[in-house]
Amino acid sequence: MSVTQAWLFLIALSLGSTALAWTGVDGGWAALAILSLAWLKAQIILRTYLGLSQAPSWSRGFAMVLGFYMLGMMGLAVAAG
Amino acid sequence: MNDASEPRTGLDALPGDLMMWILIVSELLVFGAGLAAFLGVRLTDPAGFAEAQSHLHRAMAGINTVVLVSSGWLAALAVHAAEAGRIARTRLLLAAASVLGVVFLWIKGLEYAEKAAQGIDVETHPFFTFYYLLTGFHAVHVIAGIVILGLVAWRPTARNTEVGTAFWHMVDLVWVILFPILYLLG
Repeated sequence: MSVTQAWLFLIALSLGSTALAWTGVDGGWAALAILSLAWLKAQIILRTYLGLSQAPSWSRGFAMVLGFYMLGMMGLAVAAG
Repeated sequence: MNDASEPRTGLDALPGDLMMWILIVSELLVFGAGLAAFLGVRLTDPAGFAEAQSHLHRAMAGINTVVLVSSGWLAALAVHAAEAGRIARTRLLLAAASVLGVVFLWIKGLEYAEKAAQGIDVETHPFFTFYYLLTGFHAVHVIAGIVILGLVAWRPTARNTEVGTAFWHMVDLVWVILFPILYLLG
């Protein structure tokens, strides 16, 4: 993915998460959707902007830690109802 | 003898500078802990946190997200320009990225002023304690990032542009996680 494609994806995902919040959809599923989009954005920044796609083993390591973290955040968000 | 075409492994495989990655990971851990604490405390008073959050300006924060990821894009393009030896273009892209950083801070300032006008401060509700701590600490990193981009733009090389912009991308990375947790989770 080029940096320009990454930027376009990031803009689209940011607008998507804001629109999702604006629809008034609430509760656990909305939280999971919003945090999934944030997870995807973080992955794009790590791989493309920060260049981890050039270092596959480091990219996998960061993706794994980020994944555990985001799952934890999702658990806390859903638990709040 | 090392073969230049041999793939880099271990720490050598990391793009940029190891010390910058240590700084980036340290910062991510601090912000990550802060956001986890925010969601943990939110469990004790979901209704109060939702009411407090309704005072935030989602549109301003949404615009700031677009501003910051666009700034990150310009910084990433600056790395390519520096690698191609295009110094003037590198400087222009770094300057543009910095300007968007200033725009981010200006919008953040408007947001803080709006809260102040409503009489909202760090002690109004635990939500706002986290809000001011996390967004304020992030804003300090934006200021530091603008200074770093400025220093890099003074004498850009492929190496220092990659390292300096890595810090800027960390600021970007923190915001894309902080923004939905503070502003969007209802």
